[in-house]
Amino acid sequence: MASINKPLEEYDSVKVWYQGLREQSGVEPGADKSRLEILGEFCATLERDPDEIVAACLLRKEGVETKISIKGRRSMADRIADFQAAGGADSRERARRGNIIRSFLIHNGILLQAGIQI
Amino acid sequence: MEFKEVIGRRRSIRYFQSWRNVEREKIQIMLEAARLASCAVNATFLKAIVVTRDSIPRETLDALKTPVSALTIELAPVHIYTYVDMGAYKGAQARLKKLVDVGALNISHGWSHKFVDEFVWPNILKPLADNADQPSVAASAASDAGIAICQAMLAGVDEGLGVCLTAFQHDAINKLVKAPKEWLPLWVLLVGYPAESWEAGGQRPRPPLEEVFFEGEYGKPFKADPKVTEQMRAAKMIQAPAPLPWRKEEIKALARMFGLPE
Repeated sequence: MASINKPLEEYDSVKVWYQGLREQSGVEPGADKSRLEILGEFCATLERDPDEIVAACLLRKEGVETKISIKGRRSMADRIADFQAAGGADSRERARRGNIIRSFLIHNGILLQAGIQI
Repeated sequence: MEFKEVIGRRRSIRYFQSWRNVEREKIQIMLEAARLASCAVNATFLKAIVVTRDSIPRETLDALKTPVSALTIELAPVHIYTYVDMGAYKGAQARLKKLVDVGALNISHGWSHKFVDEFVWPNILKPLADNADQPSVAASAASDAGIAICQAMLAGVDEGLGVCLTAFQHDAINKLVKAPKEWLPLWVLLVGYPAESWEAGGQRPRPPLEEVFFEGEYGKPFKADPKVTEQMRAAKMIQAPAPLPWRKEEIKALARMFGLPE
């Protein structure tokens, strides 16, 4: 179990996410502070830092191309669904919470398609 | 719509109006367009099963999704599951003779019933029919099926529909549609009214003509005549390239409408 020992923005995976949001989605990540707060909540729930969450979805072996772990990705999709169901005042807010985490992982190269959330 | 514009407007649509059904007659037009496609030995290699998304049990719908096609499969109200029928070589002998009878294959080109019976069938077609599991045989049959699928797609676009050809988990849907064993699964053609604008962000990037087509021999590019390119632009076959300036805003709006990640 890793503790979060620095600001979330300093983790590589969060930098990748922010860059993707700016360049691919046309969204300024800093404009909405709740995005990072929700990621922080998710990290706390899983007791993992952002980089570890991404790593949990990957199969990395020395000298071999990195692959997405089917098991890891499925498990993470379930954890996101649980996290989504557990918080938020209404269905729209719950969907937003889940989608923020999905966005974080997708911009880090983890394919997730959860379908229509509203 | 003019033919060239239909070609120009076709895009792989990935956001459908999930709530809006497609008129059955429009699907019939698409299937008819596929049926009329060019095909070797007059064999309709393409076979397809039309299924409305809402008639698919939830567990089957979830099981047939692939990681990259999950959302599009869920959004599209009509699914056309396409297959290449490896049994379509059977009967080719009779079909070829019919083409002779109707004046499509003629004496002027060396065709006769006797030629079909004594040469084409025993020496060419029967060995193909008997070796339908060979990759080269499947590839040529799949090529013909692809031509037919393309015609269906273009007919759909002409009818104002959005189309997207994508992958599906064969075993999952087969429990429902019960396709015969000799049908090899190809793609699912998703059909519906686009939820995104018909431009879908602009015409997709493709390599220039000179990079993919050659004249005389490989390495000598087929050079495009700028005047002809202009004519195609005027006919709306060549359109504004992606990304159109508002595409990111459109994707954001669609993501919010459907509750999808940004």
